[in-house]
Amino acid sequence: MLIEGFGLKRYYQRGSETVKALDGVDIAIDAGEIVAILGPSGSGKTTLINLLSCLDAPTEGTLTVAGKSVAGLSEDELVEVRRGVLGFVFQDFSLLPTLTVTENVELPLLFLGLKAEASRTAAILEAVGLTDRAGHLPRELSGGQMQRVAIARALISGPKILVADEPTGNLDKKTGEAIIALFKKLAREEGLAILLTTHNTVFGEQADRTIVLEDGRVVWES
Amino acid sequence: MTTDPFVLPRYFALAVKNLRRRMVRTVLTVAGVALAVTVAVSLGGFMLGYRGAIDKSIDMLGFQIMIMAKGCPYEAATMMLKGGTGLLYLPADIYDKVRNDTDIESITPIFVGVAAKQGSGIRDDAGEKNFLIISGIEVPSYKVMKPWMQFKKGAGYDGGRWFGDSSRGEVVLGFEAAEYEQRKVGDTFYASITPAGKTEAVMHTFKVVGVLDRTGTQDDGTVFLPIDEARGYFGRMGELTILGIKLKEFNAFKMGAFESRWLKLPEVQVVGLQQVKSTLVGLVATAQTMIAAVAVIAIIVAFIGVINTILMSVYERTSEIGIMKALGARRDSIFQLIWLETVMICLAGAVVGSALAVVGSAVVERAIKSVVNMGVSGSIVLITPAVVGWAVLGAVVLGFFAGLYPAWRAAGMRPVEAIHKGN
Ligand SMILES: Nc1ncnc2c1ncn2[C@@H]1O[C@H](COP(=O)(O)OP(=O)(O)OP(=O)(O)O)[C@@H](O)[C@H]1O
Ligand SMILES: [Mg+2]
Repeated sequence: MLIEGFGLKRYYQRGSETVKALDGVDIAIDAGEIVAILGPSGSGKTTLINLLSCLDAPTEGTLTVAGKSVAGLSEDELVEVRRGVLGFVFQDFSLLPTLTVTENVELPLLFLGLKAEASRTAAILEAVGLTDRAGHLPRELSGGQMQRVAIARALISGPKILVADEPTGNLDKKTGEAIIALFKKLAREEGLAILLTTHNTVFGEQADRTIVLEDGRVVWES
Repeated sequence: MTTDPFVLPRYFALAVKNLRRRMVRTVLTVAGVALAVTVAVSLGGFMLGYRGAIDKSIDMLGFQIMIMAKGCPYEAATMMLKGGTGLLYLPADIYDKVRNDTDIESITPIFVGVAAKQGSGIRDDAGEKNFLIISGIEVPSYKVMKPWMQFKKGAGYDGGRWFGDSSRGEVVLGFEAAEYEQRKVGDTFYASITPAGKTEAVMHTFKVVGVLDRTGTQDDGTVFLPIDEARGYFGRMGELTILGIKLKEFNAFKMGAFESRWLKLPEVQVVGLQQVKSTLVGLVATAQTMIAAVAVIAIIVAFIGVINTILMSVYERTSEIGIMKALGARRDSIFQLIWLETVMICLAGAVVGSALAVVGSAVVERAIKSVVNMGVSGSIVLITPAVVGWAVLGAVVLGFFAGLYPAWRAAGMRPVEAIHKGN
């Protein structure tokens, strides 16, 4: 198992009120599978995905990511778990506006202290279908293209798990479908585990497994 | 994938791109730093240059001690350097008393007087000073004091020489005196002198027998005559203005002993040139303090400006910083990036500011000279590589501190919150 969580809870304090964003979730994700998390707004999808990808720490529960126990780790220790294991794709693409496609894709290598290799970058751009846009700036790209850049960026460090919080949320239906198709290809060809949240039940159906959240609990699982 | 030992240039490139995003803001902040550096470098150059100019002017007098009529050391100093007004005279027999002091290596009597310019013709600009400084000297001992003095060569100047012991009507001109008066060797030279106790000036005609090379001292503006001839024209036979003295061994002890030996002579003061130097340095201390205050204020304003700019850019990029953290950036990577941006702003400011200071030093020099005219020869604003180096270093250190807080804030951002907040 790449990710295993038991009894995951995440409470937020809002004034005197405790918001139970996540209230006891068990979850396991294996290599190479695509898992879609569905649920109404405010059900805890983002909260869960943040926990599983070590961007946030659970209030309670145990969590193992790539064989490492994560519970109780500090911010700095969480970075170490993330580095090279997890790749992120965000709803709003989150590209750096001043960097070209290639530079955006290679950015994580800088933080990992690794050399950028032109052949590897080219291969990844090829895989996401952006070879002819390598020198462009984000503002010269369409939403679908930007999300492909973000996916390429997530892939550059060779992660085991790709985490995507509503990757199709800002895209039209057709473009969204193309992104999901790309995910499926990556899972199949690279053996990547893909963990994504979505509002779109159609995309949910395309996943290997679906988890539906409501009020911080799993209400349905396939 | 292989590790890259040279990541710094890549951070550098990223920092440059971030700074270029808000070009106007970056340029304004750099300008603020540049202004502070310009003031600081000018001040440094002034302190250094003024000190050097005084040292040079005084060392080029050739002697370490002056014996002169009682008066304040400031007057003594300005008189030496400007050859100005308010001249006081000593009885010449003091020379005979002092010259046999066994500590003395060499001694020369100098008689200084001020004459009016007469009939100099062509150069009659309103701004030109219309008086001449006449130095009556004893050539052999004067030459010993100033071995660097040489006659100017070239067409119209060849054959320059000192006047003979018993010659009359012969003058030697300092470099600038000759230039102002447009005189060459063999030319006629006029000076109008009012003898002591008289009201009518008497016109004298001389022949220029030599023009001296530039020395960078007040000698350049001086007209030299044999001492007795000068005394005669000024109606002060048996008087002198200064005794310039060089000791065999010059140190505080010898100087003190010498001073106490000769201070007992009436109407006399023994002035060590070291003392004159500190008097002159003290004279501009106020001006320097004022410039220093301006520099400090400019530096504080620039410092706050830099912090403000970087903080703003950090807050603007909150979500970006969160993304970078999600992409694997550690605290220190973010810190390094923000900190680099800060230091680069300061470095750019330091370079621009230093360049401005160097380019503008002539203007600063003129401004200072118009406020405090000490008649010090040579450049009083001296911007050396060391001054620039210190300013650049100072700016980098300031940048280091200015960047600390914003960089720390950025580094401490939690990815989830940062990404969330930014949207
Ligand atoms: N930082 C926070 N502080 C307080 N409450 C929070 C915080 N983040 C999330 N919550 C609350 O936790 C609950 C779950 O939020 P979460 O963002 O996980 O929902 P979601 O399923 O991702 O919703 P959406 O589909 O709208 O993105 C919500 O009630 C939300 O208001
Ligand atoms: Mg969400």
